[in-house]
Amino acid sequence: MNPSLQMAVPAAARRPPVERFRGQSRSRMLRADLLAVLAWASVALAVALWLADGGAAGVSTLAGSFTALGIVAGLAGMDLVLLMLLLAARIPLVDGAVGHDRALEFHRKLGKPSLYLLLAHGILIAIGYGMAEGLDPVSELVALWALVPDMSLAIVLLGLFISVVVTSLVAVRRRFPYEFWYAIHLLTYAAVLTAIPHQFSAGALFAEGTWQRWYWLAVCIATGAALVHYRVLEPLVATVRHQLKVSRTVPEAPGVVSIELTGRHLDELAGHGGRFFTWRFLSPGTWWHPHPFSLSAEPALSGSSGRGRLRITVRNLGHGSAQLARLKPGTRVAIEGPYGLFSTAARSRNRVVLIGAGIGITPIRALLERTPFEPGNATVILRGHSEAELYLGEEILELCRRRGAALFHLTGVRSPGGQSWLPESAVRSGHRLASYAPGVADADVYICGPSAWARTVIGEARAAGVREEQLHYERFDW
Amino acid sequence: MRIRAAVSAALASAGILLAGWQSGAHVADAGKAAATTSAATSSGALSGSGTGGGAGGTFAGSVVQTRFGAVQVQITVKAGAITDVTALRLTDDDRKSAQISKRAAPVLRAAVIKAQSAQVQTVSGATVTSDAYLSSLQAALDAANL
Repeated sequence: MNPSLQMAVPAAARRPPVERFRGQSRSRMLRADLLAVLAWASVALAVALWLADGGAAGVSTLAGSFTALGIVAGLAGMDLVLLMLLLAARIPLVDGAVGHDRALEFHRKLGKPSLYLLLAHGILIAIGYGMAEGLDPVSELVALWALVPDMSLAIVLLGLFISVVVTSLVAVRRRFPYEFWYAIHLLTYAAVLTAIPHQFSAGALFAEGTWQRWYWLAVCIATGAALVHYRVLEPLVATVRHQLKVSRTVPEAPGVVSIELTGRHLDELAGHGGRFFTWRFLSPGTWWHPHPFSLSAEPALSGSSGRGRLRITVRNLGHGSAQLARLKPGTRVAIEGPYGLFSTAARSRNRVVLIGAGIGITPIRALLERTPFEPGNATVILRGHSEAELYLGEEILELCRRRGAALFHLTGVRSPGGQSWLPESAVRSGHRLASYAPGVADADVYICGPSAWARTVIGEARAAGVREEQLHYERFDW
Repeated sequence: MRIRAAVSAALASAGILLAGWQSGAHVADAGKAAATTSAATSSGALSGSGTGGGAGGTFAGSVVQTRFGAVQVQITVKAGAITDVTALRLTDDDRKSAQISKRAAPVLRAAVIKAQSAQVQTVSGATVTSDAYLSSLQAALDAANL
């Protein structure tokens, strides 16, 4: 066989185009994996603290075994609680590696295991100690409450923690207003604080003079510091630095309004179009209600020192959002953020497919403005019941023209059964995601819209060969 | 990617647990050795207990079980006064309990000799040990008719 025949295609043409986002994506995946390894290792380390203290020697008796299991459950449970707090602390390293919604998803997943571990801790210790003293577990709990310092607080914690997990379960959560759930959730922070003293005073493992004590103290303090810094201090600094004020509200469609804000140092927020901030409009009746909204346009700079305009576009979703249409110009605005990975920072490929539905179109609009792509390498798909529901449609059309992106308007009623994200007419014609974006398997796919709809898009994208690191979606329900 | 993370997490965790287990085994061995010596001395002291009676001598209190181990004290009485308190057994189930006992015993001993009774304050951070110490002491006082 003549090898030269197979070399007929010039080498240059076979070389794939430069993938400028490969490195960024690889390093992000590496950071995500490292964080996962660290999280699991911290649980192992908590148990190892106890093993290193000769804890396993106590397993020789039945009472000792119960106590030992109880201690291990308590250590692992507290470690999970600390991980939960860190996941909810809005740490940029975590946010940039896995994204805000994914971090909160892990946070939620750890809720039940940590509850079970802490419950088991209380019950097993009561049984183990009770057996050693010839008491039943209930009398032992009463004795612990009365005799051992800080134990009463720890038992109160258990009650608080149960109430938090129960109220956080989705089924229950829907029946209460967001604020009620939020207040209950804040109680966890109080609950965790009440649990800390007994770990150091009653827990022999962390007695004075042990290295374990220093490790545990450091971990607890670091978690607390991260929470205070990223959830309290940073938002305060951002609010004071950017001095945001409502300049005007523009109706976009029935029930949908764009809110324009002026502020300072907005150049620092460039490139964050599509990411979201938590907004508080500081006027009577609205200041206590935080709203998570994405920027619907890149910051527009108009003066020196980063003076300029921001814009968000919101739909009348709940009681709180309804009031936003009536915001007076000049209202001051407090912000937290930007959060999430719905931005160029998540890109992994040269091609990009942007899919938005309903109000989820607005972050797509912001992303389209700035995220890098060559003409012909981008596809924008907008989905709504009618043309009027394709918010900011004209701006998007203009951007697509200017940047060379293909644009599809998919309007019409949902297909029966809700198995497809496409309108009924498109389903009947046999269209799929790849019909609109033939190169989707080698593209970043950004999806924003109602969660049930988004799930069907994600399913179809995966079926079309899109890998996990190419899929980017933001959930808007809390 | 997920597989890479899962495998490294499992390996790291296993390594950490193994290291903990290893260093724990040394601690347990040391603890066992200490426990045997203390048992030997306490049995020796026990044989001498109960001597005297009435005005003077040594009296051993009852053995009080706690979740951290057994506690027993012995008092030395001269002319109706407590001149010394020795702990025959102290909570020493694990290294940390032993550490707590080591800290609490001298404090309790001094307080008891000063108060000449079992009516003394418990040592904070060593409540269980203190309570057991004082109830064993009360038994010893009863035996000495003090």
